[in-house]
Amino acid sequence: MNIIPQDAPVAVAPGGTGYGLTARIHTLPRPDKALLNLLFGAALLALVLGLAGGLLTALARAGALPLYSDDAYRLLTLHGVSVFFYWLYLIQAALLLALAAAENGRGLALRPAAWAGVALMLAGFAVSEWISATGTPLLYDGSPELAVDDPRSVGVFALGYLLLAAGLTASATSGIATLLQPRRRGETAEFGAVGFALFAWAGFLIVSAIAAANAFLPGLLWSLGAGPFPADHGTEWHILFHNLHYLPLMATVLVWYVLTEHLTGVTSIHGARLSKIIFAAYLVFVPPTSLYHMFLEPTLSEGVRVVGSLLSLFVSVPTLAAFAIIVSSLEASARAHGATGFLGWMRGLPWSNPAMANMGWAAVNMMAGLTFAFVLIQGDLAPMLSDTFFVPGYFHLFAVGVLTQTFLAALMVMLPALNGGSLWRPALLARMPALVTAGLLLFAAAGIAAGTMGVPRRVFDIGYGGMAPTAWPVLMAVVGIGASLFAAALSVSVYGVVRTLLSGRKVAAADLPAVAWRVERSRIGTAPAWTGPASIAALVAVMYVFTIAAFQLIQSLPIVAIGGGHGH
Amino acid sequence: MPDSRHFTTRRGFIAGLGFGAVSLYGAWAAYGAAPLPFGHTPSTESAPESAPDSQAHDHGGSAAGSHDGHPAAATAESFRLDHEAFLRTYGQADGSVDPHAVSHTGGHSHGTANGTHADGSHGGHIAAAEPVTVYLMAQKFAYSPDLLRLKAGQAYRFRMMADDITHGASIQLGMASRIVRLRPNIVSEQTVTFTKPGEYLVYCTVYCGQAHDAMQGRIVVV
Repeated sequence: MNIIPQDAPVAVAPGGTGYGLTARIHTLPRPDKALLNLLFGAALLALVLGLAGGLLTALARAGALPLYSDDAYRLLTLHGVSVFFYWLYLIQAALLLALAAAENGRGLALRPAAWAGVALMLAGFAVSEWISATGTPLLYDGSPELAVDDPRSVGVFALGYLLLAAGLTASATSGIATLLQPRRRGETAEFGAVGFALFAWAGFLIVSAIAAANAFLPGLLWSLGAGPFPADHGTEWHILFHNLHYLPLMATVLVWYVLTEHLTGVTSIHGARLSKIIFAAYLVFVPPTSLYHMFLEPTLSEGVRVVGSLLSLFVSVPTLAAFAIIVSSLEASARAHGATGFLGWMRGLPWSNPAMANMGWAAVNMMAGLTFAFVLIQGDLAPMLSDTFFVPGYFHLFAVGVLTQTFLAALMVMLPALNGGSLWRPALLARMPALVTAGLLLFAAAGIAAGTMGVPRRVFDIGYGGMAPTAWPVLMAVVGIGASLFAAALSVSVYGVVRTLLSGRKVAAADLPAVAWRVERSRIGTAPAWTGPASIAALVAVMYVFTIAAFQLIQSLPIVAIGGGHGH
Repeated sequence: MPDSRHFTTRRGFIAGLGFGAVSLYGAWAAYGAAPLPFGHTPSTESAPESAPDSQAHDHGGSAAGSHDGHPAAATAESFRLDHEAFLRTYGQADGSVDPHAVSHTGGHSHGTANGTHADGSHGGHIAAAEPVTVYLMAQKFAYSPDLLRLKAGQAYRFRMMADDITHGASIQLGMASRIVRLRPNIVSEQTVTFTKPGEYLVYCTVYCGQAHDAMQGRIVVV
């Protein structure tokens, strides 16, 4: 396999690629730096809490850690609240503000709103963690029906998320004002691709906050005696939940755009307009695809179930298109520099840079996660897979493998620029994503197999008095091993980022590898770029294999069942 | 000026790749799990060759799967009454419920409270094509009944409801499970035929509180 010639231009970050992301962050005003450091730190604290809770949960489910029922579900609540709400939302708010401020070049606009947002989100973080640790276990969706006799837990739990939602709104408002500032000053006529994506992302964060208020305000009012019992919480939650886990995916793609330019100098060879359309497509394709979360609902009609399945086929359109844009831009640029070999051009990427390694392995995790996501979204397979461990089995590939690794990659680039230090032990950090992925694949393989066999998603003791299949505890033990492996490797990455955040200027700045592949447009695209299409063709082929296997399995079961059923 | 770019680096081709996963529709259609443009009605997840009843593959959009094609229209209160009558009529001395046997208390009925035929014949034949109605109530942290005795090859119309909060009433079937989610006071109906004898675990797959892990029942199929 050939690789890119050694005479290809090589640059060093920061600043060497010409884009100047790190240079712009480095020159942000001091109050903005303080705000971003606080927000990044809080996000990392949420990640640490969530990671610890997740590892203990996995060990308990593997039978290695005996826990009383309430303690176990309280731990699961802490894990979900910390990771799915506070890590993912705090880091999104932080990245939005950092990238918006860098895009502006003059720091944050509406700074008081940004500070108010941080204060509200941190207050929500404290409230949510406290009630999760001490109240009735409500899991991360805070279902009020689990605590009909304990309105205090329902109310305080809802208050935490409402504070988070209010903080998100304030932060996103500051982000939008920051992005609009250059246009209002007449410095630019229109958004670039990244500016447009940031603008759309900020808008979606506000939508997400509204969805959270819609889901949790009724619970707070009920707990105060000011409203009826929130009987529709399940439906409102589904709306929020769908938004909750696709919004970070859009943020991930945006970060890939930014980091690709920073690490290689390559921007989209297809023009800013296509990128803008793709980012706007999240608004078109994501909301109508939410029905698959509700396939088991007894009130969902068969017609809606079928339509929901069909719409779900489109859920990956923007993400796959963005992936194809990035990969084809990289490959075409590499080939314009003389790279040869079907996949050989990839060896020229700066893999020893931890940000590149995290981003590259995130793409691998995305492909694996998408494969199984598309088994789950088929309405006729939901009665075999929904509410089982299949769900956490596959979505950790996204939550950890894709989202968390990508956001950590962004931190590995931004934190040294923000504080003037350098990344802690980059050679070690560059090795971690492969280990994280290995652990995740083990976790996912065993978890998906366990879920397919019927292991429930949220049951700690799966013995059922000896009636459960003997394979269940074996598979869950493997889940525990996989979780331990990826948690250990991820902990090293998180530690490195935290050390970088805390060390600041005490460590001398050091350059990390990057390449400079940007070439003039006339030299782009004369050679074929097959990696993107081949990746997606392989993805579809694997999707076919697992979907057909699932259909074969469900048809082989000793039962014939008709109807999801509903009445009144 | 003609575009000298290779087609793999052109904008339209790249945008089209985003729709790659939509091609999975082919697999879905092949298994009858997606509507086809030429009018094929999607089947359920049941195996065509093992279905005892032709209606199993032609639910025609009926969510309930009732043999008459109409969704169940019971209220929660009428469900509770029917459920009580079912237990009273078919309850056995060992605590199980057998819709094919007379109650140990001497009660006997040729139909359930809602008038659906649940043959109470004394060991006589039951027409396999006619579903027998059985009731299952889920509540913290048990099922009622928690032991059902059924027959292989016989279709059963499972009428189910959660009494207090959301529960699962999933059935473990060996290599996989049939996952069922029940919402409080919403009657769910599925027509189920076990094709092999065995003892099947019924378990809760929706977290419902402190003793959620212990919530289980059994279906014994002979």
